[in-house]
Amino acid sequence: MSEQKRTPENDGRDFANAAWSVPSYILSGILVWGGAGWLLSRWTGVYAFIPIGVILGVGLAVYLVYVKYGR
Amino acid sequence: MTPLVLVAGDEFQAPGPSIFNFPPLYEGAPAWLTKPVIFAVVGALLVCAFAWSAFAKPQLVPRGMQNIGEKGYEFVRDQVARPFLGKDAERWMPLLMSLFFLILLWNLFGVVPLIQIPIASHIAFPIVFAVVIYALRIYLGIKHQGPIGYFKNMMFPPGLPKPIYLLLSPIEFLSNMIIAPFTHAVRLFANMFAGHMLLAFFSSVGFWFLFERLTPLGSGLGVLGAVMTIAMTGFEMFIEFLQAFLFTLLAAMYIGGALHADH
Amino acid sequence: MSVLAEVSGNVTAIGYGLAAIGPGIGVGIIFGQGVQAIARQPEAYGVIRQNMLLGFVLTEALALIGLVAPFIFQGIK
Repeated sequence: MSEQKRTPENDGRDFANAAWSVPSYILSGILVWGGAGWLLSRWTGVYAFIPIGVILGVGLAVYLVYVKYGR
Repeated sequence: MTPLVLVAGDEFQAPGPSIFNFPPLYEGAPAWLTKPVIFAVVGALLVCAFAWSAFAKPQLVPRGMQNIGEKGYEFVRDQVARPFLGKDAERWMPLLMSLFFLILLWNLFGVVPLIQIPIASHIAFPIVFAVVIYALRIYLGIKHQGPIGYFKNMMFPPGLPKPIYLLLSPIEFLSNMIIAPFTHAVRLFANMFAGHMLLAFFSSVGFWFLFERLTPLGSGLGVLGAVMTIAMTGFEMFIEFLQAFLFTLLAAMYIGGALHADH
Repeated sequence: MSVLAEVSGNVTAIGYGLAAIGPGIGVGIIFGQGVQAIARQPEAYGVIRQNMLLGFVLTEALALIGLVAPFIFQGIK
């Protein structure tokens, strides 16, 4: 975002890109880290890993969107 | 030809997903030869005929079909292609415009009397579109950014400490490579499917309570169903247009993202 | 008294329907007010855009947590 010239047109495109990719980022965050938590809970038998993984995935996805588009 | 959903019993039965299953057209036809397939082909031919009659012999002063065609072209170019593709817009217009008009026509089949099946409510059709756009996107990305550069641009947003990448890159990869094309197809499919179900539900409420079992108590419900059918038909036409527009817009967005790395 | 209405099938679908109400209203408010803010002060576009995006992400996260919540609670009896 920094190297490109900032025009209203570029800004609008970035915003549309960001807004459309938000749901898939959050969904894949849940799938990746919730899936990791599920595997961990199958291995250790501790059920709490699944919700922990899901919440972690959502948090990371929100952070990723913030890093990519929100700064 | 339309399977009648209200058959047995004295109770009102809401139509289920089985209203999307059509039998083969005639006795002994292959199993794939059903109404949606026929109208998918008809839609494609209609779009070809439309484009032919509009653009085959262009006049300097447009008249007739050329007027409509040029309005459509301008709409797709100014609302879809230019914002996402910039100076490459003209190059991708043929793809985007045929995509837009084909999906729009297929969707509008949902409210045309006697046809009344939005083709995209069978998920196979949106999946084919999404897979084509997906393959095109990966091909263009590798061609324009290099095989390593493409994945590096995609998975590693710059300016973060190294350990964070370990947490974020899998999310980025899954989102771009699997979830995005999946939602691309499912968004169109689900909207058409749900919209058609709603229409079928309200119209069968109206039919059942006004024609099949007319009672003083039920007639109010029947009138409500009929009124809702009319209102939802208008709403459906709007949704059908919107989904065709969104599908094309997302296709343009993916192509644009493959041509230039974002940021 | 006879049964007037009963729920059959998967109850989690109702759960997701309920869980989607809040984020639906939220996303509507965020984009509605955001567009209004941009229309009133076009020069503050950058800041408004950032905050709109952040609010949208946080709200959308709730909706998608609602989507997976049934799967999480399935294991807890």
